[in-house]
Amino acid sequence: MNENLSEGVSPLLPSDQHARVMLPFEFRGSGGEYFRIWIVNLLLTIVTLGIYSAWAKVRRLRYFHGNTYVDGQSFDYHGQPLAILKGRLIVVAAYVVFLVTSQLYPLFAGLVAIVIAIFGVPWIIMRSRKFQLRMTSWRNLRFNFHGTYGGAMGAFVGWYMLAMISLGILFPVWVRKRVEYSLDNAAYGSQKFTFLTRTGTYYRFCLLSGFLGMAVYFGIIFTIFRLPGVKDLIYPGAPPPTGTEILLAFGMQGWLLIAGGIVALLGILGYYQASFANAAFGGVQAGSQYLRSNLRAWPLIGIYVTNLLAIIFTLGLFYPWAKVRQLRYQLENTAIDSDGNLAAFTASAGEGIDAVGEEIGDFFDVDFGI
Amino acid sequence: MRSARKSATSSTSISESSLIPGRYFDGRSAAGVDASLDFGADGKVHVHGSVIPLAFPLSEVKVSERIGNITRRISLPNGGVFETPDNDAVDQALHTLGLQQGSSLVHWLESRWQIAVGSLAAIALISVAFIHWGVPAIANWGAEVMPAKVDSAIGSGTLDVLDNVAFRPSDLEEARQQELRGRFITMANPLDDGHEYQLEFRHGGFIGPNAFALPSGIIVMTDELVELSKNDDELVAVLAHEIGHVRGRHALRHMLQAAGVSSLAFALLGDVSSISGVLAAAPALLQAKYSRDFEREADGFAKQWLRENGVAESSFDAILCRISGSHGEERDEEHFDYFASHPSTTERAQCPKEEEQPEPEG
Repeated sequence: MNENLSEGVSPLLPSDQHARVMLPFEFRGSGGEYFRIWIVNLLLTIVTLGIYSAWAKVRRLRYFHGNTYVDGQSFDYHGQPLAILKGRLIVVAAYVVFLVTSQLYPLFAGLVAIVIAIFGVPWIIMRSRKFQLRMTSWRNLRFNFHGTYGGAMGAFVGWYMLAMISLGILFPVWVRKRVEYSLDNAAYGSQKFTFLTRTGTYYRFCLLSGFLGMAVYFGIIFTIFRLPGVKDLIYPGAPPPTGTEILLAFGMQGWLLIAGGIVALLGILGYYQASFANAAFGGVQAGSQYLRSNLRAWPLIGIYVTNLLAIIFTLGLFYPWAKVRQLRYQLENTAIDSDGNLAAFTASAGEGIDAVGEEIGDFFDVDFGI
Repeated sequence: MRSARKSATSSTSISESSLIPGRYFDGRSAAGVDASLDFGADGKVHVHGSVIPLAFPLSEVKVSERIGNITRRISLPNGGVFETPDNDAVDQALHTLGLQQGSSLVHWLESRWQIAVGSLAAIALISVAFIHWGVPAIANWGAEVMPAKVDSAIGSGTLDVLDNVAFRPSDLEEARQQELRGRFITMANPLDDGHEYQLEFRHGGFIGPNAFALPSGIIVMTDELVELSKNDDELVAVLAHEIGHVRGRHALRHMLQAAGVSSLAFALLGDVSSISGVLAAAPALLQAKYSRDFEREADGFAKQWLRENGVAESSFDAILCRISGSHGEERDEEHFDYFASHPSTTERAQCPKEEEQPEPEG
């Protein structure tokens, strides 16, 4: 009835299609606000013996999607609590069956668990990617996912086995294949995404963090065993040292070394995680728009470590702030490198007409919450 | 803007309505237009875009639930969506029309710090009560409901697994085995609680001097334990403890408690564990606590049985102290009480003098 609306809109969009602009993501939620949402929904979940958890999940995801903005417009989440409840009931039922079976027939249950891990997990990954993306919208257009079960088997199991057989040489390829499966099969409206990051990038950061990590680790071990105090303690036939003896034997030097080593290892972990995120999100192309990701190792690991400590010392209460901090850092260092013509994104055929909430009725379109 | 609209329509019936500013997306492309919307008193929702005015019956329009201050989405029957950051204006308009959203109560709860603090206190109280009374009570009830047959099904494969990975056949002479079995039968026969009690011997290997009960009533004793004992009363004391486990249906109750703790942990941490695996250790700690409670219960049963049957209670203490000595148990174990599957030996038994200080390990 309003076919001419979109035509009428076009002239209003930026006419200069050549100048590229950076459209950064931003997060407008706050830890305090999310704390209240989290705690109230947690209580409701407990009081309803878990049933409300599906509604709580929808509210949580809508809060995070809805506070994520790019180019002035926020995302939204359309998952229906009943579909999520259905998925959770299936998971709980499967878990109870497994719990009982593993007590009655431990060997059989173990075998079944392995078979499910190999053949079931890729299917679950494929299904939940599909659900997550289809339930996400931006500017009233849905995302989509075209990944197949075969593709998931290949990426998550096939390449894993090849990585094992090759004694880890193909490990970076496996890391890339998993990301490629999730991103290269994604789409926004009718526009499919392309994953551009090359295998070489994965080899570079995997090898660098692997070698640095091992160097620091073995360096510390090697140096500690050469400390005079430790050498006196450990010799062939020596009795196992007590905790106090070890504490004293390390001395000031030893402890400084260990502290330095931990900081170095955390930095390497941060480097790996930042590189991983940058390689993944920074490699997405959607038509003439590109994603850019510019996370840095030290800020990322700083947020991670302080979050972890704060969560431990507040017995978990800091969790909402931690989640918001981490997400905010990640989003604010991600942007769309755009040609300014976002109107080029269109709905795929047969979609967008019934956005009023006709969810996919497919029984298997449930969310397993992965 | 509001006053301008009012003056412009002052002669019409929609004087109470007000324009809400936002953006309109038609659902066909990502292009959006600045637009404004009003919930008309004529029962229709009007979207005034810079291109085309739209009007739909109120009943066909869906307003998204309010969460925090996220963009409100008003879905129209043509597939279009009107988005506005002005949540208060939308709420005001819905209120004026007498439309209550089911979710507005949850939003009301979510927006107050007093409610949040109250919720936190309620969650803490419920969790503690559930762990202390709820889980054991549910497990007891479950065990009462289930017939003793269930016990023989639980862990029926356990002995096979242990025979494969740890045990060797017993080296104990047949006559000695029969002698102990005879005593065991006189203990077990009068119980008549639906379990088929049976005593088995195995060479323990790395498990060392120990005994344990399978839920079905099979009790396994290692050769090493028989060797460690100074008299048969001590072995009887151990058997009484193991019978206490079977009779108390601890395996079944343990299973049911595991399920209870898992569901609580899932409810509390399902969300959090993705960011911190540290807190996921809590269920394991609780399982250890329940496990110690079962040990105390079995100890209690054993001591009562020994008293009633005229066997010296000190036999129990003596063998327990010797077992813990042979396992090199440290005396300051209580400091790590929450991790241990058994209560400390100092709590469970009065150790005789000569075994109070075991030789330091060398």
